[in-house]
Amino acid sequence: MMKPVYISSACAITPQFSFNPAEFLQPLVSSSDGKLFAAEPDYRQYINPVAIRRMSRLMKMGISSGMRALELAGIKQPDAIITGTGLGSMTDMEHFLKDMIRLNEETLNPTYFIQSTYNSVNGWLAMQTKCTGYNQTFVNRGLSLELSLLDAQLLLQEDEDVHNVLVGAFDEMTPDYFIVKGKVDYWKKSIPASKDVLKYSDTPGTIGGEGTAFFVVSDKPENFVCTIAEVQVDLQPDKELIKTMIRELLQRHSMEPTDIDVLVTGMNGDSQWQPFYDEAVSDFPDSTAVAGFKHLTGEYPTAAGFAFWLATQLFSHQEIPQDVLIKGTSTKSIRNILIINHYILNTVSLSLLRK
Amino acid sequence: MADRIVVTSFGVFSALGLEKEVQMEALTGSRSGLQHPRYLNTVHAPEFLMGEVPMSDSDLADFLGLPVGENGYTRTTLLALVAMRELLKDVDKSLLADHQFAFINANTVGGMCSVENMYMDFIGEESEGPFTKYIDTLDCAESTQNVASYFGLKPWMATLSTACSSSANAIILGERLIRQGIVQRAICGGCDAMSRFTVNGFLSLKNVDKEPCKPFDQNRSGLNLGEGAGYLMLERESDAIARGAKIIAVLSGYCNSNDAYHPTAPSPDGAGAYRTMNKALRKAGLEPAQIGYINAHGTATINNDAAEGLAIQRLFGANPPLFSSTKPYTGHTLAAAGAIEAIFSIWGMNDGLAYPNLNFRIPMEELEITPVQTLQSGLEIKHVLSNSFGFGGNNVSLIFSKA
Repeated sequence: MMKPVYISSACAITPQFSFNPAEFLQPLVSSSDGKLFAAEPDYRQYINPVAIRRMSRLMKMGISSGMRALELAGIKQPDAIITGTGLGSMTDMEHFLKDMIRLNEETLNPTYFIQSTYNSVNGWLAMQTKCTGYNQTFVNRGLSLELSLLDAQLLLQEDEDVHNVLVGAFDEMTPDYFIVKGKVDYWKKSIPASKDVLKYSDTPGTIGGEGTAFFVVSDKPENFVCTIAEVQVDLQPDKELIKTMIRELLQRHSMEPTDIDVLVTGMNGDSQWQPFYDEAVSDFPDSTAVAGFKHLTGEYPTAAGFAFWLATQLFSHQEIPQDVLIKGTSTKSIRNILIINHYILNTVSLSLLRK
Repeated sequence: MADRIVVTSFGVFSALGLEKEVQMEALTGSRSGLQHPRYLNTVHAPEFLMGEVPMSDSDLADFLGLPVGENGYTRTTLLALVAMRELLKDVDKSLLADHQFAFINANTVGGMCSVENMYMDFIGEESEGPFTKYIDTLDCAESTQNVASYFGLKPWMATLSTACSSSANAIILGERLIRQGIVQRAICGGCDAMSRFTVNGFLSLKNVDKEPCKPFDQNRSGLNLGEGAGYLMLERESDAIARGAKIIAVLSGYCNSNDAYHPTAPSPDGAGAYRTMNKALRKAGLEPAQIGYINAHGTATINNDAAEGLAIQRLFGANPPLFSSTKPYTGHTLAAAGAIEAIFSIWGMNDGLAYPNLNFRIPMEELEITPVQTLQSGLEIKHVLSNSFGFGGNNVSLIFSKA
């Protein structure tokens, strides 16, 4: 069994007011066109204004949330930086690709090419924090964040010089991306208000979204929000297998279903996957609070980042906002949270967080 | 003493070919795989030399027993499948049972080689057509999942992308997963097919040479791009011995470190490359003098070779181990380079060879050291160092030792 590791800070830029919120998820943001875009903060506090001008939005979002997570943890320089992204900077990729086609491969701007590389955010964060330690980028669809967290856990076990790891994830929605994935039926044909999408889980498709989330993961239990007890990833689990996975995970931590105070689920209103979530939560008592969040963020490969951020907020506030509560109530104290997340291309993760 | 992690199988597919014998013939006979691309449909084909794998997509599909034509497989995946098949030739599939092994893959642009030719259909009016098979192929994990399913494997999977050090990082991650007991074996490496996107990206950075590249030469003026795939199987030495496997090499040290200097350029004094090589040596418990050959990153860009050369000089002194870059043979295979060059290094170590650094003529003004110019054979090499340095400052050094 691995040593426990701790989340000492969390920062997220999402379609909701999560970056520097006055109130917990208030006021709620909703959209009516099938996709949600992040509420972008003022970046000047975190990135040199000269650099900002040439930077694409996902880079700005990623770097700012990374710097903010460090600030919240009171750390100037992490010992390692690990990021996960399903798609990297789509805006830069699209820009360079369409220019290349339009200009018949002549006189292209290298900035878009450089920024489209998947490791550009962690490279920049290393440069800005002068962090010469371990630096890694996972690009594994719906598990990119979870694998980054696992890597951080490994690193904190094996390297005695590593104490604080900056771990983050970022993905963006673009108008092109929305069109492209619409052709393989990612989205709902009849588009509801995004905040209501979970009420339409009898029809296929979901809504698209984006966001970044960064965390300082540490081996020291000082000023920590919660412990990452375990992150487990798998591919193509069926309805039966997910129940077994959950049962075994709880057993490994000597826990019963009743010990879980909140299930944070990645339900996204898609009828294809709803039975999977229904089955996953079916072994838990009716009193267990079930929360959802993809009606607040939309679906994207690293949406689990919002779930982890939400979990840290639930631990801190000790209450579940009505807007995320799908089932159960928010009366008892919140000590154990299980995140269950599925992504479109058949990946699933289970993450157990404990206060 | 802690169990050592060893290499027990490999598969490399590059512009030099697929079988070890064929590629060794090229490496020892100073035969470069660079040519004007025949299959990459770029306007720059007549102007630039590239390390293109000498097979069309249809040839590759046919070779793999896949339907020819728009089969939903990108060239990235096809290259990966061929290299993986080569690796698996001598591996008992029962060793790769569920969750007992990991497949750590790496690439830089996923299926861009296919997507770039269909993108206007992707975003156009039509919602039906052969292009829909490729819509989910842009991301990097596409090749990872397709390789696993083609061979009927259900490994613990991860995909990495740290530019030119991607597959070297895959090797490190595999080692760590085995050491921590997460898996028993790991197949690690990377794949990248050339795409117009990448070719034009490097052209826009103005660091591509029209001539065959000249690593560590005073008159070097950039890299040649290439493509390919390379994978190594790692396991504990005790496991390899228990099953009677041939141990090809020991992965004795490594380091992943960041330059923290500039998005696309290394620190000019080579501080990042120095740190990475030095830490890898310390991890391996070796003195610099024990390294018998260095397979340099050696892209032949102005910046890389200056920084890397200075770092080698600082760490190893004025009489460093034999070193060369094999990129004039294969082109820069980007995400695949770390794994391909690791395997080339191991072959050289086991056969007592140091490959010539093609196209080197004039020593660099700022360096006292020069790369290997003619094939060196009959060497007693116990340890080799392989460097991979990428955009974003992502540096990796790997050290392999004789079994």
